[in-house]
Amino acid sequence: MTSVNAAFGEVAAERRIASAPLSHVSVELGHLYMEDVEAGPERLREQFRRVAPWARTVRSMWQERVPGGRARVSTCFLVDDYFSRSSSPAELVPMILGTAAEEGLSVDYLARESACAQADDVEPARLVEDRLVADPPPETTGSRPPVQETGWLCNGARSPGNGTVQAMGRAQRWAPPSQNAKRGHSIFVDVELWDEDGPGRTWSCPFLAAVWQLLRLGMLRSDGRLPLLPVPAPDTWPKGWDALPAVVQVNAQAPPFSAYTTLSVLSPRFLPVELAVRTILGQVAVDAEVLRQVAERSESEGVRLEDELVDRVSYVFC
Amino acid sequence: MPVMGEVHTGLLQNSGEIEESACRQVLALTAGETVRVSRRPIVHAVSPDRLTGVDCRLPSATQSRVRGVGTVLSRCAITGGRVAQGSSYVRLTRAEADRRLPWSHYLARPGVVEVLGKAKARDLADGFADDPPPGCLDLGAISGRFLDLAQSSPLLDRRAPFKVPRTRLRWVAESGEPAIRFVLRSDRTRSVLVVHDGAFTPAVADLCEDLALHDWLLTTLLVLLERARIGAVPGPEAAARLAPAVDHLLHLWMPAARLGDAMAPYWESLDRRPGFSRQWQSLVDRVRDQVTVNTLALLSVTAEAGRRRR
Repeated sequence: MTSVNAAFGEVAAERRIASAPLSHVSVELGHLYMEDVEAGPERLREQFRRVAPWARTVRSMWQERVPGGRARVSTCFLVDDYFSRSSSPAELVPMILGTAAEEGLSVDYLARESACAQADDVEPARLVEDRLVADPPPETTGSRPPVQETGWLCNGARSPGNGTVQAMGRAQRWAPPSQNAKRGHSIFVDVELWDEDGPGRTWSCPFLAAVWQLLRLGMLRSDGRLPLLPVPAPDTWPKGWDALPAVVQVNAQAPPFSAYTTLSVLSPRFLPVELAVRTILGQVAVDAEVLRQVAERSESEGVRLEDELVDRVSYVFC
Repeated sequence: MPVMGEVHTGLLQNSGEIEESACRQVLALTAGETVRVSRRPIVHAVSPDRLTGVDCRLPSATQSRVRGVGTVLSRCAITGGRVAQGSSYVRLTRAEADRRLPWSHYLARPGVVEVLGKAKARDLADGFADDPPPGCLDLGAISGRFLDLAQSSPLLDRRAPFKVPRTRLRWVAESGEPAIRFVLRSDRTRSVLVVHDGAFTPAVADLCEDLALHDWLLTTLLVLLERARIGAVPGPEAAARLAPAVDHLLHLWMPAARLGDAMAPYWESLDRRPGFSRQWQSLVDRVRDQVTVNTLALLSVTAEAGRRRR
């Protein structure tokens, strides 16, 4: 008898990772707190007027970069319904979309900030929390569990605790905190990820913003599936925020929601938030298979992406 | 540059073997990540990979000060619902910059530790074979914590049928002419050198986990046979002491069950010399013979008693 090569496979033993449809760039047209949106169309108009030239610029930059000029640019707008809830989608959404259109901008996707915490049965924030790999200070050998302050994440070694008193009653001398990858001097950042002061856990604004960036980069998976899929816009906007899908596709012709890179056009008052976001993003371990899929796809269309995730995230502060 | 890892293996802290669904829960270490389970020829469940950041000296045989920065890749596994393992490894590469870079640089290379400064591959591989000196990369501690993570699951009743120490298997893989060397360093520590053709693949880590599992089975069966004190205690007592081996261990021997064609020859060569399967078979025969002899003795005692009653 000749020998036979046998192959045996088991579905449960293999990992299946869905791939996300991807644009070249996802442009965030504005991140406004509820009070900004509620301040009426004039505040919004001002914001969109500032954003419009940058949105045109990024589109033409990508048209030059992509062979044939076929740049896929999608736009999005995040409504904060997590930290404050008032008004209703029925009132606010038409105003946002209308004002944007008057300034020559099209909002392709509209998302709710609370969806970054929880959407249906998926908790995107938990997916990110479990993928945090803390930036180790020098002398971290693995012999002890990583030193972590629950609910906080930093980019270095913290200053020794204040108020601790050594034996013989002498107070410990202050020592400065230190950034791990410093160039000469430290810029030490310590970010609060959540608190549990309320009835449950409240995620911090930078943490949800980091989740938002990862969703826009198509980097998150839950059991191999995409955690949030855009849903076509309803005929009428609902009265309650919970009735609004997590991500609504307003423009049926829009290129995909997630993209190789992101650009957020923000007011400079968001600068500290975004420094915190980048501190978090620099410590998220994204699935290697997802990274590989994205790298393969971008290379196949002649787009070279940065290796590090934080380098795919850019901003205009204006 | 070499790849180095350490596998810790122990008896799952539960009175009986656990079902596949429980294995999945025990190993669900990351939200939204599936536990991979294969059922043939034996149920084997593996947790998602997790990363641990390190920035420290690397062990070196010549005591040179070599700094490594990067992430250690770890996972836990449960085989046959009975044996738990914590496993970690790192791939060493030379750093392009001679300073520490932003952390995102290292996270883009999961399981890689970049070596800063001058270092010889041989020196690092040799340094790793011994216990890590204080202040040096400690993969054993990381693997130990991952094994603890599985063992401390609230789903386990912590009433293991017998107590045996964990074993630790430290391994180094380098590329070259294919070869394998297995050394028993102490009653609980083993070291393995795998020389593989071409580039490193995770299949080498699978091989080392499989070796660790089977080495633990052999070690444990030897311990149980020793504790049975065959010949020194009455037959029924010795047989009773061997019962846990029959209940919990004998069916778990499945060498190279999940290894691909590239790794199977390594097992085969170890099986020729020193002959793991040969030793296992002889121990299994000894256990079964003891149980059989004792059963026959019991049967003849029962028959004798029956005759007397008549």
